[in-house]
Amino acid sequence: MSHAPHSSLPVGHYAYDEVDRTFLKQRVAQFRDQVERRISGALTEEEFKPLRLMNGLYLQLHAYMLRVAIPYGVLNSGQMRTLAQIAQRYDRDYGHFTTRQNIQFNWIKLEDTPDILALLADADMHALQTSGNCIRNVTADQFAGAAADEVIDPRIHAEILRQWSTLHPEFTFLPRKFKIAISGSPQDRVAARFHDIGLMARKDENGRAVFEVYVGGGLGRTPIVGVKLRDDLPEEDLIAYLEAILRVYNEFGRRDNIYKARIKILVQALGVQEFRNRVNAEFVAMDRARYRLDEKIVAAIQARFGVPDFDPAGQAAEKLIQQRKADRAFDFWVRTNTHAHKQPGYVSVTISCKPAGGIPGDVTSAQMNLLADLADQLSFGELRITHLQNVVLGHVRQDKLYALWQTLDQNGLGTANVGFISDIVACPGLDYCALANARSIPIAQKLSERFASPELQREIGPLRLNISGCINACGHHHAGHIGILGVDKRGEEAFQITLGGAADQDTVSIGQIIGAAMSEDETVDAIARIIDTYLARRTAGEQFIDTCRRLGTAPFKDAAYAPA
Amino acid sequence: MDRRNNRRDAEGSSVITANRLLDGRIVWLAADGQWSPHIRNARVYSNVEIEDALKEQTASAQDNELVGVYGVQVSLSPTGPVPVTSRECIRAGGPSVHPDFTPEWQERPAVSPA
Ligand code: HEM
Ligand code: SF4
Repeated sequence: MSHAPHSSLPVGHYAYDEVDRTFLKQRVAQFRDQVERRISGALTEEEFKPLRLMNGLYLQLHAYMLRVAIPYGVLNSGQMRTLAQIAQRYDRDYGHFTTRQNIQFNWIKLEDTPDILALLADADMHALQTSGNCIRNVTADQFAGAAADEVIDPRIHAEILRQWSTLHPEFTFLPRKFKIAISGSPQDRVAARFHDIGLMARKDENGRAVFEVYVGGGLGRTPIVGVKLRDDLPEEDLIAYLEAILRVYNEFGRRDNIYKARIKILVQALGVQEFRNRVNAEFVAMDRARYRLDEKIVAAIQARFGVPDFDPAGQAAEKLIQQRKADRAFDFWVRTNTHAHKQPGYVSVTISCKPAGGIPGDVTSAQMNLLADLADQLSFGELRITHLQNVVLGHVRQDKLYALWQTLDQNGLGTANVGFISDIVACPGLDYCALANARSIPIAQKLSERFASPELQREIGPLRLNISGCINACGHHHAGHIGILGVDKRGEEAFQITLGGAADQDTVSIGQIIGAAMSEDETVDAIARIIDTYLARRTAGEQFIDTCRRLGTAPFKDAAYAPA
Repeated sequence: MDRRNNRRDAEGSSVITANRLLDGRIVWLAADGQWSPHIRNARVYSNVEIEDALKEQTASAQDNELVGVYGVQVSLSPTGPVPVTSRECIRAGGPSVHPDFTPEWQERPAVSPA
């Protein structure tokens, strides 16, 4: 096998070859034909719906919505420009980054969709596996290939899993959708235990990957923390073992009740030990040689990923220190919005898509184009979308940060709030979503304005605030330190507050509802009182979640429901 | 369509809505039998007579290039029918977070002539 030199490969993601491209072109042609037959009436809506969903096209509240896959959240500048072009030409000039590292366009026309998919295919992109009861887009650490604490680049195995799952005949009609997340650092940044399968990769003594395997986690109607099935799954058995899990799920998972169809319900019903026994029985009975993930295959996939050609560190670090000293606002941004890089002289930058009063995760086409330009200039043409709805430039030289921050700030992308209360995760809610009970965005806007002061946010410290417009939990409200859930009170919107959720691996927990639903404004006030209670009751060094765990929900509940 | 939206009181009144097949946009059945993007033009039915009208419109949905025909309960105001649920108000008026994206929002041609 021969490989192109690294320099010609896209940095950070898998380079398509002609086989991949031909496949995508065929899928676009197939869908074009299906759309024509739908428009002519040859296909009814009932016949067409599953076909359009397989191509990421939903019918939402106001129009069709197209969900485009961004495998493991990584894209190159050209792909970002394609997304900008779609937003500008076929939508209303913006897109929405989601908690599954994808992007959604809200105003798509059915008749334009084949052309949009063709445009995507030209950029090696598609909308497959973004809907339906298949293995969905595999998510990965947004600092993959960059983080100082990383031991294995999870994108390689994410790509292997993508190839294994795409069109796997057995797994296109699972009982329900299936979500996999993978991390290659001991610090879980992917919420591994809130996925159908969560993988934590590390290295064994010979330098080969081994995986901790979690199964049966999820949010939604029945939030459950995933349980550990394996501690030390060798790399060569990764596909075989996951195949075994999926076979057990496919065979025993419930298909009679959509609310009981996820693997988490099966794991709970059988018990972990019995579930593990069945997986092991399947695993030992399999033709393991056939599923063996050979080191050579891993190496071949890895070779299709471009790697950055880093410059020597030089005086980059010293220069950054001086610039931080000279400009306090910049210093605060560096503290919140950068992450330690393994390469001396470099950092990863998280660009906040959450300005005060803004719509979490919404980015205009102009901003997308700017981000693409910045990626070309400063980060080897590569970008990542985070599951917290922000954008990451993975590899920025430290002495380029100041200019980057200034440019971002001039374009509404310089907010220094990553990890703070205004870095809100929110689903589209009732403003767009046909399943919603309540709007998620306006309450997010009110909260981010209420807590806009940088000083106040720094005083409050790290805090995750997540909002979902209904029990499907697309905004991961149960995983937020503070969660907000939209409910329907006889046709009126109302909100419940949950407290104490967390998605970090060691301390993962599900937020608990503290009481009856309130109106939007009452909820905003209640959260302000909850924050006041924390500030008054915390001990030195305690973060919000710590105080919440130490005191339990009672004092916060009292504050939330205190008469105004 | 979601059953929630078809909840109607016996003595109330309703209008009929759908999405256009080609572009997905929301439309309302008007008094003149045309489908209008504006709820203010919508024909108001008593909840007693609406079931038959819904059956008829569902049957002709494909011919009219529509999907998801259903009835929406409204109250009457001087400016026309107003849905009783927040959800249908948002459908009628556009997303509350983009005041400019009303049903009047004019689109540019998808492919601008050179
Ligand atoms: C607007 C169109 C959307 C629709 C119709 C939709 C529908 C759903 C449904 C029905 C579920 C529950 C599935 C189940 O538990 O089996 C779900 C779960 C989920 N959705 Fe969405 N969703 C939408 C948008 C989004 C967006 C924008 C995001 C990201 C911000 C998202 C992320 C998720 C996630 C992460 C879950 C999994 C929760 C879990 O672990 O069970 N969805 N969605
Ligand atoms: S949580 Fe509910 S309202 Fe929000 S996007 Fe998901 S399905 Fe829609």
